[in-house]
Amino acid sequence: MSDWTTRRQFLKQSACGFGSLAWSALASKAALAETTSAGTLHFPARAKRVIFLFMQGGVSQVDSFDFKPKLAELDGKKMPFDDARQRANTGTGESTHRILKSPWKFARYGESGRWVSELFPHTAMHTDKLCLLHGMQTEGVAHGPATLFLHCGATNFIRPSMGSWVLYGLGSENDNLPGFVTIGPSAGNGGARNYGTAFLPAKYQGTAVGQAGMPAERAVIRNLKSIYSSADLGRRELERLRELNAIQQQSRGVDGEYEAAVASYELAWRMQQSAPGLFDIVGESKETLDLYGIGRKETDNFGRQCLLARRLCEAGVRYIQVTYGDNTANPAWDQHSNLPKHAEHARAVDQPCAGLLEDLARRGLLEDTIVWWGSEFGRTPYAEKNGTGRDHNPGGFTVWLAGGGFKPSFSHGATDEFGHRAIEGKVHMHDLHATILRQLGLDHERLTYRYAGRNFRLTDVSGRIINDIIS
Amino acid sequence: MRPHQRTISIQKVFAISFANVFLMACTFVNGEEDPKGIEFFEKKVRPILSQHCYECHGAEKAESNLRLDQDGGWLAGGDSGPAVLPGKPETSLLIVAVKQGGESVDMPPDGKLSAEAIKVLEDWVKRGAPAPVSRGLPTRRKMDTEKLRSYWSYQPLKRTQPEVSHPGVMNGRVDAYILDRLSEARLTPEVCADRVTLIRRLSFDLIGLPPSPDEIDDYLADASPTATERLIDRLLASPHFGERWGRHWLDVVRYAESLTLRGFIFPEAWRYRDYVIEQFNEDRPFDQFLREQLAGDLLAATSISEKQRQIVATAFWTLGNTNLEEQDKRQLDMDVVDEQIDVMGKAMLGQTIGCARCHDHKFDPIPTSDYYALAGILRNTQMLEHANVSKWTEVALPLSMDDEVQFASVEKNVKELSASVAKLEKQIAERDPTSKWKDKSKGMLAVTGLEGIVVDDTQAKKVGEWVTSDSVKPFVGSGYLHDSASGKGEKTITFVPVLPSDGHYEVRLAYTPGTNRSAKVPVTIFSADGEKSIFIDMTKTPPISQVFISLGEFKFESAGQSFVLIANEGTEGHVVADAVQFIPREQSALLETKKASTNPPTNDELARLKGELKSKQNELKSLEAMLAARPRCMSIVERKEITESPIHLRGSVHTLGEVVPRGFLQVVEPARESPLPLNQSGRLELAEWITSPRNPLTSRVYVNRVWYWLIGEGLVRTVDNFGTTGELPSHPELLDDLTLRFMESEWSTKTLVREVAESAVYQRCSLTRESTQKDPENRFLAHAYRRRLDAESLRDAMLIASGELNQEVGGSTIPKELKADYGYTSDSLRRSLYLPVFRNALPELFEVFDFPETSLVVGRRNSSTVAPQALFLMNSPFVDERSKNAAMKLLNEGEKETAIRVNTAFRETLGRFPSEKESEWALKVVASEESNRAEAWGELYRLLFLSLDFRYLD
Repeated sequence: MSDWTTRRQFLKQSACGFGSLAWSALASKAALAETTSAGTLHFPARAKRVIFLFMQGGVSQVDSFDFKPKLAELDGKKMPFDDARQRANTGTGESTHRILKSPWKFARYGESGRWVSELFPHTAMHTDKLCLLHGMQTEGVAHGPATLFLHCGATNFIRPSMGSWVLYGLGSENDNLPGFVTIGPSAGNGGARNYGTAFLPAKYQGTAVGQAGMPAERAVIRNLKSIYSSADLGRRELERLRELNAIQQQSRGVDGEYEAAVASYELAWRMQQSAPGLFDIVGESKETLDLYGIGRKETDNFGRQCLLARRLCEAGVRYIQVTYGDNTANPAWDQHSNLPKHAEHARAVDQPCAGLLEDLARRGLLEDTIVWWGSEFGRTPYAEKNGTGRDHNPGGFTVWLAGGGFKPSFSHGATDEFGHRAIEGKVHMHDLHATILRQLGLDHERLTYRYAGRNFRLTDVSGRIINDIIS
Repeated sequence: MRPHQRTISIQKVFAISFANVFLMACTFVNGEEDPKGIEFFEKKVRPILSQHCYECHGAEKAESNLRLDQDGGWLAGGDSGPAVLPGKPETSLLIVAVKQGGESVDMPPDGKLSAEAIKVLEDWVKRGAPAPVSRGLPTRRKMDTEKLRSYWSYQPLKRTQPEVSHPGVMNGRVDAYILDRLSEARLTPEVCADRVTLIRRLSFDLIGLPPSPDEIDDYLADASPTATERLIDRLLASPHFGERWGRHWLDVVRYAESLTLRGFIFPEAWRYRDYVIEQFNEDRPFDQFLREQLAGDLLAATSISEKQRQIVATAFWTLGNTNLEEQDKRQLDMDVVDEQIDVMGKAMLGQTIGCARCHDHKFDPIPTSDYYALAGILRNTQMLEHANVSKWTEVALPLSMDDEVQFASVEKNVKELSASVAKLEKQIAERDPTSKWKDKSKGMLAVTGLEGIVVDDTQAKKVGEWVTSDSVKPFVGSGYLHDSASGKGEKTITFVPVLPSDGHYEVRLAYTPGTNRSAKVPVTIFSADGEKSIFIDMTKTPPISQVFISLGEFKFESAGQSFVLIANEGTEGHVVADAVQFIPREQSALLETKKASTNPPTNDELARLKGELKSKQNELKSLEAMLAARPRCMSIVERKEITESPIHLRGSVHTLGEVVPRGFLQVVEPARESPLPLNQSGRLELAEWITSPRNPLTSRVYVNRVWYWLIGEGLVRTVDNFGTTGELPSHPELLDDLTLRFMESEWSTKTLVREVAESAVYQRCSLTRESTQKDPENRFLAHAYRRRLDAESLRDAMLIASGELNQEVGGSTIPKELKADYGYTSDSLRRSLYLPVFRNALPELFEVFDFPETSLVVGRRNSSTVAPQALFLMNSPFVDERSKNAAMKLLNEGEKETAIRVNTAFRETLGRFPSEKESEWALKVVASEESNRAEAWGELYRLLFLSLDFRYLD
């Protein structure tokens, strides 16, 4: 057996996750890294991967999926509300606000006859695929805390992100690719912390592909492109490196860490050969491109992001986040004034989201892929400061799920008659995290990591699995 | 901030000791006294509990340690204390929770109980919560602090004497302890590493840089037996020692120069970094170093430079990655305190105190009361100035008495000048009606004639009915709007500008005055700074050109929230809205001067006033520039009011328990005998307690860190955790012996480093023979650990090889105009530790090569081997450029002989000559590209950078 085969075997045995290479001394270090063994499933899995379509800034539930005729009826009326921002600021939330009706019409769609506003005509065609959660609640009234809570389950403490937990729990399906990819992440409101590993090992870190503000066309994994103009030159360099490292290894004797370093070059080389194709959508049919709205000005960018998500999904990436947002303190959907601007954002995401659902369904991927659409919080049914927009609302909002063993054509929970606070079938963000983990076969109470002397988990000391929404 | 009424009452009730609660409870739970009550309980209450509560608060889950399935479990309570206070429904947590008023946790979590069920529970509690006593009251786990105190790390340091009868090399006490254990284990230590290996190891370990070929030659040529000792002395005296060792400490204290939130820059953090570097270079006593960081602001100083140092040191408390945007500021304050306790605990004491925030520590002898005793001290220190987005504290750096006096007088002058400038402006405005008319006869100002971005009322978004008018002149555009003094509270108008770029803008509001106008119009400015409401008196003439009033300067982000909202809520009289003007800061500064020169004076008096204004403004500007030039630093300030902290039940700021006197960890010596001072936070005493020679943790934890930084593995491998969940020391006697002598040497780091570096155990060969079989983890230290070069060393070593490293020491490295760290990249050629540590934009090489998480205490870095590292080395422009530049340098140095050049390339990268095989290999690489020599030599360097012997330290 040549050295080369030995190394390949070594790699095969030891690799787990994005080019991570175990080395012989790892076993002895394990005690130190304080890992709890993850990797075996706690439940039979209903899904293998997650695509999270993050609508940054806070989509208004009463203008999208949570129809409240009462708002049109009482439009302009001053009413008392328990305002979340005021409660956080002063300790009491009681205040008077002007009801602001939705400027958009609602209609019933699908066999289920669910109400969807005219902001989402394409998504509306897929209502029979959706599992709508109308009773969402979360922590944090401002973007910073709520965005971190959405991703990491904590408003301020440094905690691993959900994608890192999933990857830690399940490992990767493809050793030549990162297992957790975030497409076009925002630098704002927690930035890299929203896909960081915190105290989990580095290999569970989310890999950013592009960034908010950068055209999706240019989004790639860093350093993947060889500096050599021809593949021959690149191969020659690799050969030379093998020779030099072999000479140096000879004088050192067997060392697992050396083996791992040498193997990492081989792996990098293979990635360099195979991964770039993944980001190239040239091979996709015109029909597919149209499905996502690629080529049309309004939908091109998010359409590309969504299509890339599907391609990564096929390639075995576990957790894919697609961000619709920007880097400002008041990102995208954050219409404190000028509510009609919601329409601009809806136009940009609606068709791509619908296209993704359709494409996944056609390819049979929707069965074991969870698609999660939502924001860090919702918005108030009343005008902020009596103006032309809506303020943040963590007390009641809507997200939808599709695929991955969630009940299709289903709605769970409800807000009050104004769409302000969740009153029935409340699902706290911790609960949503717990339930998504459940579908992946992971028990949120047992998916733990020992750090600084205690076991940590995504859901802290909370979280309930919402069995009602599981098919 | 106004504390919530309900919270206070809950707090009062919880202040009643547990004993009292139980006493009260007993009279009621005694079934004989209230048989009807028990019937009520069984018929009405138990069904509710069993249907809605047992699932989570039953035997299986016992969420929050609360059992509602056991009779009386509600009295024993859970982590938040008793759930029921008999007779007091309004303060019983159970009732508060089921009412779901948002004051505590809402229960049950998936929806509200029926009004009827809530009433039943209330009635039951009001009645005294009667229930049968079946198995006696459940008891709560009690912490056995005394038993846990016997854990090794809480024990006083022990003095021992090592055996000294060991054959072979032995330089001192360190080796004696090591050899004791090795011979017990029947292991033979490896020989000393060869000198070429040793100088590379020492050089990276002590100063973080590779030895130069000359330095290697000198060392190899030094035949004296003290050659290594002299090498160590030279390295300890290098200014780079502080850079290398300061960076170690920066890992521990989560040093960074920005916040992830909005990428806010810490422009003054570098002073703390430089202070740390200086600390290690000067080798000041380590206990003093800790005291300065903990309470430098409260320490006495004998000189200005000492005072400066002490203030800069307190930045230690402020470097956390805080979410300044948290809207609940009480919560934010506690989160900050929590982070501070966590960092202090791990960095200095090796304790995970943060675990005790919500409940008694599950493993270590740290009760919740200890946590809040410490929190009480830190709550008395102000770290943030609160606003929508709160701000960390920066203070003026203390200066010499002369300078202080001078700055004070400048400050006074600025105040006076500002007042007279304002007065002059008013006088001029009164005399100088604007000249920029759209139609002078109609009193119409042209929008296009105005500076900056103007949003006229016609472009604004109106809510409610607004009436157009042009009765009162002058105004902007063709008219203005008013609310007809009707529909109060129903009308708003929003001015949304399209701003060309992010930055600071002066915002001005235009309105037409009149006696029928409202004297108190609420105007709210939404900017990146948050929202600010101002009341405008519209009965008064606007001061600027009789048209505008300045609302102040605000920061706007072009795509973020930027608008001005006028409401008629709570107003009397007419509310008027004409236009809003946004003037970029630069333009706004020029405006006054420009106006003075372009507008011909209408009379002599006006001209005189304008002249005076101009000179006063110039004077003011230069004085303000002087003030702005005063150095500042990150720090903290003592609060005026000193208080003690209540226990926060389950860590929540909304459910407060018993007030705990300020203090320290009870399990750790020295015990506090007197209460902390009432006129100070108690940080000074905290600093004394932490650095007391009787505190068994602080010095042990630090000595173990030093050992880890040199040897590559701690005697206690969990360097940040000396609690019961941490590991035991491999050589407890050695650790205590080193620690005791460290304190006797006045906590001198250099003395300690010298002793360890001179020991045989440090200098051993890293090649392993039989010992790996018997001791695979090398706990007996028979050989040295082979280590990977860390991110900084790797980068610095490449820059040394390419001859590009800029070795300047200290100073700010952040561009002055930088406002956010998003997407920042540095092309600096300075040593790695000077690259800005930006939490949203770490240098790629840092990210890939396991730079520590900048928001956490990282005493021990990861050492991963992953493919992105290989990709970085193979394909990144950084490595490519270093290789090419190294090649250029080599080819320009004059040496023509290829073999000698190859030798140089090896010595510059690997610190040694090539082996015969390597020479052959290298000649092949450089010979293949005769046509392009530079490229071939560039490839040689790149391959050397990628090679194992470059990336690893033997």
